[in-house]
Amino acid sequence: MLMQTKIGAQTKTLEKTKIWTQIKILTKLELCNLYGLNTFRFSRDKKAKRKFLGLFAAWALVAAMLVFYVGGLTYGLIYLGLEEVVPAYLITISSLLIFAFGMLKEGSIIFRREGYDILCALPVNNGGVVVSRLIRIYVENLLMTLAVLLPGIAVYVWNLHPGAGFYVTALLGIWSIPFLPMTAALFIGTLITGISSRMRHKSLIAAILSVLTVLGILYGSSRLSSMEGNIEPEMLKKLSASVMGILGKVYPPAVWLGANITQGNIWGCALCAALSLAVFAAAGMGVSLCYQKICQGLYSSAAKHNYKMGTLKAGSVLSSLCMREFKRYFSSSIYVTNTIIGPVMACVFCAALLFTGIEKLKGLWLLPFDIEELIPFGIAGTFCMMTTTSTSISLEGKSWWIVKSLPLSVKNILDAKILMNLLLLLPFYLLSELFLLLALKPDAQELLWLLLIPAAIILFSCVYGITVNLYFPVLEWENEVRIVKQSASAMLGGMGGFILAILCAVAAAAVPKAYTLYLKAGICAVLLAAAAVLYKKNNRFDILGKI
Amino acid sequence: MLKIEHLTKHYKGSSKGVTDLSLHIKPGDIYAFIGHNGAGKTTTLKCAAGIQDFDAGRIEISGKDIRKDPIACKRQFAYIPDNPDIYEYLTGIQYLNFTADIFGVAARDREERIKKYGEAFEITASLGDLISTYSHGMKQKLALLSALVHQPKLLILDEPFVGLDPKAAVLLKEIMHSICAEGGAIFFSTHVLDVAEKLCNKVAIIKDGTLVACGDMETIVKQGESLESIFMEVVEHADAD
Repeated sequence: MLMQTKIGAQTKTLEKTKIWTQIKILTKLELCNLYGLNTFRFSRDKKAKRKFLGLFAAWALVAAMLVFYVGGLTYGLIYLGLEEVVPAYLITISSLLIFAFGMLKEGSIIFRREGYDILCALPVNNGGVVVSRLIRIYVENLLMTLAVLLPGIAVYVWNLHPGAGFYVTALLGIWSIPFLPMTAALFIGTLITGISSRMRHKSLIAAILSVLTVLGILYGSSRLSSMEGNIEPEMLKKLSASVMGILGKVYPPAVWLGANITQGNIWGCALCAALSLAVFAAAGMGVSLCYQKICQGLYSSAAKHNYKMGTLKAGSVLSSLCMREFKRYFSSSIYVTNTIIGPVMACVFCAALLFTGIEKLKGLWLLPFDIEELIPFGIAGTFCMMTTTSTSISLEGKSWWIVKSLPLSVKNILDAKILMNLLLLLPFYLLSELFLLLALKPDAQELLWLLLIPAAIILFSCVYGITVNLYFPVLEWENEVRIVKQSASAMLGGMGGFILAILCAVAAAAVPKAYTLYLKAGICAVLLAAAAVLYKKNNRFDILGKI
Repeated sequence: MLKIEHLTKHYKGSSKGVTDLSLHIKPGDIYAFIGHNGAGKTTTLKCAAGIQDFDAGRIEISGKDIRKDPIACKRQFAYIPDNPDIYEYLTGIQYLNFTADIFGVAARDREERIKKYGEAFEITASLGDLISTYSHGMKQKLALLSALVHQPKLLILDEPFVGLDPKAAVLLKEIMHSICAEGGAIFFSTHVLDVAEKLCNKVAIIKDGTLVACGDMETIVKQGESLESIFMEVVEHADAD
C-alpha cells in the first residue's frame, strides 16, 4: 500500500515535471515570433525586414506619445499636490488599457485555430497550451504596463525623492499589475467565445457580444463619472481622497496596490501581488478545463453535404468582389469588433445628444469655444477610429493568389475594398446624421457642413487606409489579431482618419469664428482632393511586383 | 499558347530562382514540368500565371504579353497552386459563382458546367458547405471546378494530382485530354513521373533554376527507358557538368 502511494506520488511528480517542460517549450514557441521578431531575425527578404522596422517605428511613436502623456499627467498630479494618487492613477490607466485591449483579443489568442490540430495530436496537456498562451499575453501586457508606469514613476522619483521602500514595493508590485485586468478580460473573452462556439454564425455572434460588452462598459463608466459630477475642481485639489474615491470605484485593486507602494509596505504589496496571481491562476485553470470543449465547438465542421444544384445568378465584377469583401468581414469577429465599435459609438452619441440636448453637453464641458462647430469633426473621428480598408489587403493572407491570378485590375480589387467600407458605414452615417438633425435643428448651411465634413473625412480615411496597407502589407500571419491589432497598417492607416479629425477639430476651435466657414470649406476641399490623388495613385500601384 | 522566353527570376537574399528559362507550349500540348524540390517549378508557374513579377525575359499567352496586358492574358487561362488556399469563409457554390462572375460566365453556362463537373468529381452535395469544412482533396476538386467553370484555353497547374482520390485523378486526366483535343493546352508540375510519362506529350526538366532538358516525351524518353531513369540521368549529368 505504502509502495503504491510512493509510486503514485512519483508519477504525479513526473507528470508535473512534464507539464512544466511542456509549458516551457510551448511558451518559447509562443514568444519566439512575438511582434514578428522571429521573421525579422531569420528572413532574408529585405522588404520583410523593412516592414518589421516600420512596425517597430510605429510602436516606438506610440510609446513616445504615451511617455509624454503619462509624464505630463504625473507632473500635473504632483503639481496639484496629489502625489499620493500617482501610483494608483498609473495602475488604473495601465489596467484599463490591458482590460480594453485584452477583452477583444484574449479569446482569439487562446482559442486560435492555427496549430490546433497539430497541438491536439501531440502529447501535450490542455493546461500547458492555455498557460503558454496566457504567458504570451502576460508578456505583452507587462510591456504595456512598463510603458505606462516607468515614465510616471521617473517623474515621481525625480520630484519627490522617495525612500528605498518605494523602489522595493514598486518592483514587487509592477509585475503583478497585469494579472487582474487580464483575468477580467479573460473571463469576458472566454464567455463570448464560449457562447458563440455554440452558435452557427460564430464570428458574427462573438462580434455582436463584444460590441455590446464594450457599449455596456462605456455606459457604466459614464454613469460612474456622472456620480462624481458634483465634486468641484477646487475640492479635488485639496482632497486627494476624492480622487482615490473615484479610482476606487473604477478599479479598487489599484488603490490598494498604489497605497502599499507609496507607503513602502513590502508585505502589503506582496499580498496584493500574491492575491492577483492566485486569481489569475484560478482563472487560467478554469479556462484550461473548458479549452477543449470550446475549441471543439469553434472548429467542428458544420458540413451538411445536402446541396442540390439550383439556379445561379450572374453578377457584375464589382458587386461580386464587394460581396466577397462583406463575407470576409463578417467571418472574423476581431475584425468586426475592432472596426464597428467606432460607428456604433457615433450613433449612440448622436442618439444621446437627441435625448439629452446640446445644452447639457455644453454644461458638461465648459469649453471656450462653440461645441456645435466641433460636432461634425467629433462624429467623423469616432467613425474613423479604425477603418476596414487599412487591414483588408493583409487579411487576404494566403488566399491573395486568387485575386492576383484572376483577370482583375488593381482598380477592381481596391474599389471593392473601399466600397465595402463605405457601405458598411453608410447606415451608421445616415442614422447619426438623422439624430443630429433632430437634436441640433441646424439651418441649411450648418446642415451642409454636418453632412459634408464627416463624409469627406470618412472617404479620405477609407482611401488612405488602402494606401497604407498597400505599403505595409503582411500576408503571412497565423492569427488575425496580428493584423487587426498589431500591424503597422492597422496603427498608421486605421487611426489616420481619427487623428485627422482631431487635428481638424483643433484647427476649427483655434480659428476665429468669422473664418470657420472658410476653414470648413478648405478642409473638405483638401480632403476630397487628397482622396482623389491617393485613389489614382493606389490604382497604379504595382501589386504584382510589390505584394 | 504559352511562350516563355529567357525567363529570369531571383529572390533577394536567396540562391533560389530561375535563370534564362525558355519554353513553348503549343495548342494540344500536355506539358509536364519536373524537377526536385526547390528547382524553380513553382516560380516558373507563378510567373507564367502573372502572379509573380520577374527580373528578365518575356511571357506571352496567345500572343499577348503578360506584363503589358495581364488582364487579357488571365482571361485565357486558369491557375491552381500546389496548396489551394481558397476563401474559407465562402461556401463552395459561392466561390464558384464568384469566379464565374469575374470571368463573366452566363448564368446558364455556369449552372451546366458546375453540374457536370460537380457530379463528375462527386462534390455537388458539399457545395453548400463552407470551404473551411473541406478536406485538402475537396479543396483541390473545388479549385479544379473553378478553373473549368470558365472554360480556359490554358491550364497552369502546380502539383494537380496531390490530394485527389484515384477516381478524381483519372477524371482529371480525361479532362486534360479533352481540353487538349479541343485546342487547349496544359502546363503542369508534378513529382509523379509515371503519370507525366503516360499522360504528357512533352516534358521539361528543371534543375537549380535552369532548364536541363525539354521537348517531346518520345524524343526524351527513348525506347526501353523510363522517364524516371532519364530524369535521374539528366539531373546527375547536370551535376557532373
